[in-house]
Amino acid sequence: MAKKRTTAQKQRARLRQQQRAAEALPKNRADRPGAAPSRRSTRRSSARWSWIAVGVVVAVVAGMIVLSLNRSTPQSTDRGSAAAIAKVTNVPESALAKVGIPKNLPTIPHLPAGTPPVLQDGKPVVTYVGAEYCPFCAMERWPVVVALSRFGTFSNLRTTTSAANDIHPNTPTLTFHGATYTSDYLVFSAVETHTNRPTSNGGYTALDPMTPEQQRLFETYDRQQYTGGTDGGIPFVMIGNLYAWAGATYNGDTLNTYTFDQIANLLTDPSNPVGREILGAANQITALICDLTGGRPASVCSAPYLQQAQKGP
Amino acid sequence: MSRVARWVPPASLILSLVGLGASIYLTIAHFTSPNVLACPANGTIDCALVTTSAQSRFLGMPVAVLGLVWFIAMTALCLPAAWSTEHRLVHLARLVGSIAGVAFVLWLVYAELFLIGAICEWCTVAHVTAFGLFVIAALTAPALLGEPPDE
Repeated sequence: MAKKRTTAQKQRARLRQQQRAAEALPKNRADRPGAAPSRRSTRRSSARWSWIAVGVVVAVVAGMIVLSLNRSTPQSTDRGSAAAIAKVTNVPESALAKVGIPKNLPTIPHLPAGTPPVLQDGKPVVTYVGAEYCPFCAMERWPVVVALSRFGTFSNLRTTTSAANDIHPNTPTLTFHGATYTSDYLVFSAVETHTNRPTSNGGYTALDPMTPEQQRLFETYDRQQYTGGTDGGIPFVMIGNLYAWAGATYNGDTLNTYTFDQIANLLTDPSNPVGREILGAANQITALICDLTGGRPASVCSAPYLQQAQKGP
Repeated sequence: MSRVARWVPPASLILSLVGLGASIYLTIAHFTSPNVLACPANGTIDCALVTTSAQSRFLGMPVAVLGLVWFIAMTALCLPAAWSTEHRLVHLARLVGSIAGVAFVLWLVYAELFLIGAICEWCTVAHVTAFGLFVIAALTAPALLGEPPDE
């Protein structure tokens, strides 16, 4: 009973309020009877739209989360530990010396004599163009990182895998995306152009754009006449103005049967075929870089097994 | 007299300041190293991956800086004086700003889930506060931008 009285009182009060509001309308609106209730309903309608807008945002976010959880596209997920990355950048000299430069490694093509020097800040440049989805880039980064770590220091190196939907799927590797490299002897100019995440049109999502200089070197020297491989093939590696190749320099077909941490551990075990392949390729690249830096630093380049390596033209 | 509930100005100001703090942190990380972010890297959550991705820039501008500028503006628009002002433009700016902000957040969430494949905790703090500001701005807009009250 008390509730009913209260409701009736409320209704009467609201009616009085509406009447007062109608009386208080400006003169130019006097010809709009019922303007006050209409205004209130407009506000109520606006409030409804506000709630709808909030609901739409919530629904869109919820929808995206559900879709991403149910996505069937396989994702590359192998993430190695920081300790494992440190093993790759600090391979013991004893392990490298034990492997030397195996005879079965392919000869790296020399660039023609007279190729203009590739310099940055007065230092020779080692250029790398690759992509995270690319399995042969995944293989080649291992020896490249091992070799370059003898001439300088990487920071922010991270791990990834090659694409899950390509040959040698999910090959564990490092990525140069977001990494930096400092050296007293050379500059390492690297770019990862795409991620390992497929797009709906059969490609992969774009990552870092090439700098104009990387683009120039890639377009000029990643040609069959120089690399012996397909035009524009990746990974493309160019050691200053001396050597260039496209593809992996060793057989890394079995890498994807290991985890990142397992491969990193194998780099101290030259008796294992995987460790031997990577260390051998790293030594070959080291020798090419020594050729570029004029044998500096001597602590690296004076190793007897590097002296026997191929030299420029 | 204020036309919004008493909790609205302090709540919106707190959200703005939390978002501002997160965006300052992300901006510092952007200009120093992503490794300064206290954030695990376990596959699903990986701040460094998100903050160094191609999507960490929008039209050439670092997203962290855009977020910082946006939160500075929203903090100003969520001060108690801004809520109580009669200047319609201030309330309109808050509403438009919050809509633009939440639209950008939707793009960033899409990028994290579908393009990058990882979530950044600190970015999520900024996203949630931006969404909270949008909710407040949207729900108070009818009272602030509609006809003046009857009484």
